[in-house]
Amino acid sequence: MTALSLARTTGLARYNALLLSRNKMAMLYGVVLPLAPLALLLSTPEGSGAAAIATTLTMAALFPVYYNVLSQFVNRRDELVLKRLRTGETSDAELLVSIALPGVALALAVMLVTVPVAVALGEPAPLNPMVYTVTGLVTMVLFTAFAFWTAAWTRNAEAAQLTSGPIILLAVLGQMSVAFPERVQRWVDLTPGAAMADLIRTGWFGFGEPGTERTLDFADTWAAAAQPLVVLVAWTALAIWLAARSMHWEPRT
Amino acid sequence: MTTDTAAISVRGLRRRYGAGDDAFEAVRGVDLAVPAGTISALLGTNGAGKTSTLEVIEGLHRPSRGSVRVLGLDPVADRRAVRRRTGVLLQQSGFPGDLTVAETLQMWAGTVTGARPVAESLVRVRMDHRADTRVRSLSGGEQRRLDLACALTGDPDVVLLDEPTTGLDPESRRDVWNLIRGLRGRGATVLLTTHYLEEAEALADRVDIMHEGRIVRSGTPAEISGDHPSTIRFETPVEALPDRLPARGVAADGGHTVIETDDLQHTLTALLGWAERHDVRLADLEARTATLESVFLDIAEGALR
Repeated sequence: MTALSLARTTGLARYNALLLSRNKMAMLYGVVLPLAPLALLLSTPEGSGAAAIATTLTMAALFPVYYNVLSQFVNRRDELVLKRLRTGETSDAELLVSIALPGVALALAVMLVTVPVAVALGEPAPLNPMVYTVTGLVTMVLFTAFAFWTAAWTRNAEAAQLTSGPIILLAVLGQMSVAFPERVQRWVDLTPGAAMADLIRTGWFGFGEPGTERTLDFADTWAAAAQPLVVLVAWTALAIWLAARSMHWEPRT
Repeated sequence: MTTDTAAISVRGLRRRYGAGDDAFEAVRGVDLAVPAGTISALLGTNGAGKTSTLEVIEGLHRPSRGSVRVLGLDPVADRRAVRRRTGVLLQQSGFPGDLTVAETLQMWAGTVTGARPVAESLVRVRMDHRADTRVRSLSGGEQRRLDLACALTGDPDVVLLDEPTTGLDPESRRDVWNLIRGLRGRGATVLLTTHYLEEAEALADRVDIMHEGRIVRSGTPAEISGDHPSTIRFETPVEALPDRLPARGVAADGGHTVIETDDLQHTLTALLGWAERHDVRLADLEARTATLESVFLDIAEGALR
């Protein structure tokens, strides 16, 4: 796996996007589910939409990225499309990136749309847009890698409904952090979902721990973001390592 | 490249599946040399190890042992360089069902250096009238032709075809044969697998017959059948056959007698002379020179090892 050919990768990604758009169920999962949490902003008091926005980000990571990439990979693998493409000039890296791109693009579009929608519904604009952007990008890479790893032990497309469970739980767990006793909370905070929620609270809203008041200014957000970003990057490294060592290109028998 | 060098060379290839007690060795020491600019056929029954061999040459799997060179390169280590010059048709492969034929070829062409125009590729396999049909609704034979069009899109120097005409109707099969001859005509090297004997006979400059993971016979179709005895077969008469019939062997097959000989005319003359003299009626008489088919059937039945 050497350098990527941009033309080849985006060319394949275009057809993966076309296929995604022809699959009504996948489009429903990929677009409607991540946008749905924004409706919560209608009912929350102005300025306290951090949870709704963190949920939007989680959904964007789980559905257009994680679940979509997982099922696309498993489907193409089982249809022997991946095997066929690997007999040609396409490198493995190009193949993987082209499968991930359409879902990642959808998720990033959702994140982009979230900003004006949130502002229009009375939330503040992101305090540190860089933190928001980096959070989004690292999150999408993380869940893409999780998808490829999950695919390795997913027998077929139907089985993905079950095998996706653990990662979905891991992502959602962080959102429920407050529901756990403090001893458990310390560990839950180390999950990727909690790190993502943390980064929204500090990077977008400037909340100091653990309140819901803006106590941070722009400069403070960098320091506050460091710890959860390290958590997120560590998960990403783990996920990539797991995916790389378990890659299977042909149907599981 | 000179024509007397091998475009594909395989030495001592072994391929093992699984480990421990469940291990199965599908390829058990295969040597192959396909001269540049020729068509070679790897012939064998199902399970002989043809596809397992080809997948290693294609670079999809590493050999358990032995070495493979395609155009002097290692298909796994030098993947990028090899793939630019090879075209592969897998025995079983797929394209996304929701793309049309033209979209599929466009997608594929986008990955190939120096790809032919899609319209030209479609005409080449007579699929131009199906350009806007979704792959899902194609017949098996049509999918095969689309797959072949993809394999040939980059005008490859080496073409690896795993059962290229399985599932095709007789007319499409002839089309594909002409296409394959055309590849050789412009200097490409073709290695194909088949279990159709007439296909190997019609196309191949060289045939390698594979059985249980090994190559048991190699040569031109004429050489292979030339080495093999001709047969004479008839309903066993009441009278005893002459003792000194010039033949390799005489055997009974149910109610029939089968004589194997290296010189059909000589043996047949002796047999018919004896029958004439003794007024013996040889019912159901049949005489045939060896064909690739008879060699192949003998091998498949385990008569030759």
